[in-house]
Amino acid sequence: MKILNSVQNQVQVVEVEGDLDFHSSPNLRQALNQLADKKAPKIIIQLKKVGYMDSSGIATFVEALQKTKKYQGKLVLAEMAPAVRSVFEIAKLDGIFVLSDSMSDALQKVGA
Amino acid sequence: MQQRFVLKNESSELPVFRAKMRTFLSEKGWPEKNTGEWLLVLDEALTNVIRHAYSGTPGEIIVEISDEPSKTEFMIEDHGKRFDPTQAPTPKLPKETPGGLGVHFIRQLTDRFEYDNSFQGGNRIYLMRYKPSSARSGS
Repeated sequence: MKILNSVQNQVQVVEVEGDLDFHSSPNLRQALNQLADKKAPKIIIQLKKVGYMDSSGIATFVEALQKTKKYQGKLVLAEMAPAVRSVFEIAKLDGIFVLSDSMSDALQKVGA
Repeated sequence: MQQRFVLKNESSELPVFRAKMRTFLSEKGWPEKNTGEWLLVLDEALTNVIRHAYSGTPGEIIVEISDEPSKTEFMIEDHGKRFDPTQAPTPKLPKETPGGLGVHFIRQLTDRFEYDNSFQGGNRIYLMRYKPSSARSGS
């Protein structure tokens, strides 16, 4: 799995590429913890290159959401592939996270 | 038709096994969406073995697959400490704290999820799902 960090319009964009499972999710967890530790106010996680995700991936996002909420940060999950989105739907978490189909919409939702 | 795989108790086995199963399930006629769901089920079951049955100690995980025209069944066996995932509590959804969703996914996406209480020296579970009618000529 690859994780690319960039800044767009003062928003931290975390682009993830590859499968997100029990093996790879600790790397993403570490990257998101670093952003939460420095209280990054606006974070977009771009998931268009993630074709597979399991409950470890979900747990990583839930933890990131909890941490960002604590300091009133905003977190948007953008451009999920249908297979990944369906995992959120089975967990009924699609209503808890702010999801976005495009980066332009994600930037708007995060308040950029 | 039966196939047997022996995996190491390592998380690095998961993506390799998923790739093999994606091909296998597709060849057996499972539609792409259902194949993805099967991969999630298998991944969660194997992750439970790695995390709870073996808890970091070395060991083998045996996976046997039986494919029939109407259904596919997986048997997953380990020799770790006793862990019955079918007894995991049903989470109240949406669950806004991390963890506890893996077994929920297995329950939601299988027609049979059973723990073999008579198996000695480890754990054995069965996972079965009936094929959609469109997939029943793939075996």
